[in-house]
Amino acid sequence: MAEPYYIAMDPYPQQEKKFNKLYKFFDHLREGRFTTTKCKECGRVAWPPRTVCPDCVSDDLEWVNIGNIGKIYVYTVMVAGVPMGYKAPLVFALVDFPLGLRVLTPLVETAPEEVTVGAEVELVVQQISRDRVMPGFKLRRR
Amino acid sequence: MKRAVIVAAGMTKFGEREATFRDLIAEAGKATFDSNKHILPKDIDGLVFSSVYPERSAFQGHPAPIAAETMGIKPTSLIARVECQCGSGTVAMRMGQMAIITGQADLVMCMGAEKVLIPVHEEIFLNAMAGGDREWETCFGLVPPAMFALCAQAHMQKYGTTEEQLARVAVKNHTHSMNNPNAHFQKGVTLEKVMNSKLIASPLKLFDCCPNTDGAAAVILASEERAKDLIKDPVYILGFGQTSLAATLANVEKDWSSWPGLKIAAEHAYKMAGITPGDVDVAEVHDCFTISEIVEYEELGFCKKGEGGSFIEEGKSDYGGEVVVNPSGGRIGMGHPFGATGIAQAVELFWQLRGKAGPRQVKDARFALAHTMSGMGVENHVAIYGRV
Repeated sequence: MAEPYYIAMDPYPQQEKKFNKLYKFFDHLREGRFTTTKCKECGRVAWPPRTVCPDCVSDDLEWVNIGNIGKIYVYTVMVAGVPMGYKAPLVFALVDFPLGLRVLTPLVETAPEEVTVGAEVELVVQQISRDRVMPGFKLRRR
Repeated sequence: MKRAVIVAAGMTKFGEREATFRDLIAEAGKATFDSNKHILPKDIDGLVFSSVYPERSAFQGHPAPIAAETMGIKPTSLIARVECQCGSGTVAMRMGQMAIITGQADLVMCMGAEKVLIPVHEEIFLNAMAGGDREWETCFGLVPPAMFALCAQAHMQKYGTTEEQLARVAVKNHTHSMNNPNAHFQKGVTLEKVMNSKLIASPLKLFDCCPNTDGAAAVILASEERAKDLIKDPVYILGFGQTSLAATLANVEKDWSSWPGLKIAAEHAYKMAGITPGDVDVAEVHDCFTISEIVEYEELGFCKKGEGGSFIEEGKSDYGGEVVVNPSGGRIGMGHPFGATGIAQAVELFWQLRGKAGPRQVKDARFALAHTMSGMGVENHVAIYGRV
């Protein structure tokens, strides 16, 4: 049975086929792949993933890998004023990926003082509840 | 086409209020009717009510009829609720203006109210997450201070803007609000105090952020002709411009030090009003954070791109400078009850343009600009008000 939760209190998306046409994003994430949709008609790759192409309005889309490694454009460390259910510090970054996509992501498993502009980050699959996962990124170790 | 004017205006004291959502509505409504004794609730045939999240902070959906009934208004031409996050009030002004100029309503009240402060402080921040791209961005605990901190980082990185320049915006706006009895804060702050205040999201510190504030504000709009029996010196609504170029913050702009959506919205508003940035005597802009006001100087055309930091440093946005920005104290000094903000800007400018702003009066103000922003660059709303 699906994990029950109060959606007005729990901000993470519903991830099952029963509730979400984009459930494959989360299936891919569980396999360690960071993906989005590409339009089969016009080739537009969009973030976040879509069910309808924002350029040509086609609904014939396919899943493509964004790539699991990106580069930090800017970041901030939030140390106070974090919402109920979250724990400071929270590190947020705008991260650029090779497909020309940019994603606003939390940096996890990362010491805030080690983060720098231009640093490479890699995908982390965060288990945020019993059945649900969310993407995060951490500093890449070479 | 008819022209729309403001014929009455009023607001509550902004701050930590011992008042419910409904109490705030009643207080702002009374202040507005008290400002023009020629108008009674029964005369109002349209209401545009602006409120961002009464569903979350007061467990009250469908707030427009609550506001109407509280004020004894029974709309027969227009009833609407606007929710466009922090810019909702400016959008309500535009909806009211459109109803007046198209002749669809006779007298429209535009009211905004927000109950922000609730017993558990962290829940206020949780509520703030609902206004972003909840599934892909804000679910991670991302709230406005961090969003605007990313913008500040980009602006500092590209233009060398300093934390001290950011702090000077807070000093100016807290100084302005000392002259505003409706403002949340009246004590003023020193540069040292801002610079030494606790870190929230690097580089933004406590005093770089607007406070969490309760409040409400309202105006009444009429056509120029209808206003003749109501007021001798109305304030004209001269122009509007709006844009929304993205919802997911990652898609807002490649260069996070610039807000092209604001530039376009401002150009449209200036064109509709037939004025240029240099004609603006007084402006109420969206200083939700100090960095916002600096980027806004640039995108509104008050200075060149990248020179917002020196514009504040050289006093050009203060009394005696080129344009007085946020004489009310702005969001930082007066407070930012989201749904009320765009209306409260109109109230302040109604007073400024009629010479009724007391010790914070901008001398001989003729053209005024109001700007609100929803999300981090997600929507921009610009209004031009003036005397003719």
